[in-house]
Amino acid sequence: MKYLFLVLENIRRNKTRSILTGLVTMVMVLVVTLVFTVLTALDKSMVEKQSNLKAIVTEKWQIPSMMPYSYASALSEGGAAPDDPDAARPEDYMSWGFFVGSTEENPAKRSFENLFFSFIMEPEKARTMLDEVDGLSDEEALPLTTAIQRMKDVPNGVIVGQERLDKMKKRVGDRITVFGRNYRDMNLELEIVGTFPREPARYADSSVISRDYFNRQLDAYQQSHNNKPHPMAEKTLGLVWLRLKDRKAFNKVSGQILASPSFTNPPVKIETSSTGIGGFLEAWRDIIWGVRWLMAPACLLTLSLVISNAISISVRERQLEFAVMKVLGFRPNQILMLVLAEALLIGTVSGLLSAGLTYLVVNGMGGLPFRIAFFPKFAVPLDALWWGAGMGALTAYMGSVGPARRARSVKVAEVFARVT
Amino acid sequence: MSNAEKCVEVRNVHKSFRRGSEVVDVLNGLNLEVAEREFVSLMGPSGSGKTTLLNLIAGLDQPSEGDVIVRGEHISKMTESQLATWRTRTIGFVFQFYNLLPVLTAYRNVELPLLLLPLSASERKRQVTTALDIVGLSDRLHHRPGQLSGGQQQRVGIARAIVTDPALIVADEPTGALDFKSADEILNLLGELRNTLNKTIIIVTHDPRAAARADREVHLDKGQLVTTAQG
Repeated sequence: MKYLFLVLENIRRNKTRSILTGLVTMVMVLVVTLVFTVLTALDKSMVEKQSNLKAIVTEKWQIPSMMPYSYASALSEGGAAPDDPDAARPEDYMSWGFFVGSTEENPAKRSFENLFFSFIMEPEKARTMLDEVDGLSDEEALPLTTAIQRMKDVPNGVIVGQERLDKMKKRVGDRITVFGRNYRDMNLELEIVGTFPREPARYADSSVISRDYFNRQLDAYQQSHNNKPHPMAEKTLGLVWLRLKDRKAFNKVSGQILASPSFTNPPVKIETSSTGIGGFLEAWRDIIWGVRWLMAPACLLTLSLVISNAISISVRERQLEFAVMKVLGFRPNQILMLVLAEALLIGTVSGLLSAGLTYLVVNGMGGLPFRIAFFPKFAVPLDALWWGAGMGALTAYMGSVGPARRARSVKVAEVFARVT
Repeated sequence: MSNAEKCVEVRNVHKSFRRGSEVVDVLNGLNLEVAEREFVSLMGPSGSGKTTLLNLIAGLDQPSEGDVIVRGEHISKMTESQLATWRTRTIGFVFQFYNLLPVLTAYRNVELPLLLLPLSASERKRQVTTALDIVGLSDRLHHRPGQLSGGQQQRVGIARAIVTDPALIVADEPTGALDFKSADEILNLLGELRNTLNKTIIIVTHDPRAAARADREVHLDKGQLVTTAQG
């Protein structure tokens, strides 16, 4: 610690250079932190859980999956025969259909701002089965549970994420008409009964309508069209989520569903949610690989070169001072450590500052808006703080080790080379 | 001179430098003895090897041949790290151009060599203030080198040289960058260090007036000791 003042004074020596080095470090750490935020969230979602895992049942040969709703009841039982006491059954389930429409009637005026995307599902499952919502405390989930309760009294109720509400310039209590796009000629008259909690941010742009309400709308369509069902009526089940106790239960339920004659037309497949998400992300595989292994390392390499350049200039300017310090008795390794400490201090503090600001600003805005798979936004994890400090320190070390070694090997007699 | 009285002993020292393909012999079998508490000035024309000899005595360079013994220690056999530690405890070095660290205050500059010793902060403070008091700069503790005159900077340089209480002070043209008055004050100060603190002092100088302040003038030419005279 007694050398700290020496390190600090040397950093203060050329404030402009130190600030610029710090700023470059901050920018690079910002970029890499954002990249890691997305990659870590994706990695995490693809990690296979061994217990309390979720499985997804979808149509086997078609994307997007469009199964008949008649599958839902049997799938919610894990394909178990009703009279089989030994069959494995899910602990919970959720069915998803997707209704895509617009609050704008005129097709020419439809845009992202008036787009309406909704899960058709059992409203109460939004609390128990939606990823991340299922982990919220009762207090955190209060806005959602209140809205779900309200939907029991308001069959045409809709729960809308805050961001979507803001885009539509609507509030809770407003009524909206949604003009169907994937369900042509189906227009839904909905009442906004509530919103999702602010966190997790991934549902901020989504909404939930009741499966029962939607089925009644399909019936109404049929009645108003000479008893002719909607062309999509037998394709309203996108996927079914099952919560399973452990891997063993998954294997058993998987066997039951795949062996069941009830799910052969169309055939279905079952996979863990992590595998499902992994499969979904296959489309982005090359981009993710490039970002992880090319872009992030390139940023770190660029940063270490910038630091190396700054420290090299500083070391070149201070040859005489290092020689004087050696005359005073500083050992070569002490001089090396001093130069390294200057770079490490700038790198670590800048990295920590950058990651801290990124954490506060990005999460303050509700997350990083980067649409990929089911993730509209990514929250910067708290771990980013040590990523930032670590990246700053690592790149500072990489960039300064060369110049520090040159400072270490300064030859006193050569610096004072005056033969008299 | 008995061994107990010898502070510095230079025995048959050769030093050569390589300049490209050419080998330049700077010192050619030089012998010199300096007694404890002696004030010696090294004089000679440019290229005579004065500074090279001073660097060898201060352990900043190694002889190509021969031996340098300071207070009984064969410093020409020490490693770079051993020399560094030895210098902190044994040598105080005064430079012609002061070579203070411009980012540090006078206090911090003087404290610098003490950081290398196992001293507490309060011990360091006591030694720094004593050293600055000796050179008459106790009112300039928090001034940076840029805020001090040349003479004051050289005084800080001397305070830095004596702060670890070394036995030997070597100075390379300590008055070379100073005006007449400041130079005189510095020479007086060096004399006082010898008289009151019993330091051995070796200075390199071109200035006959400075050399005359020493107990003994040693003249070098072409890497050899040519004359030695009492001051």
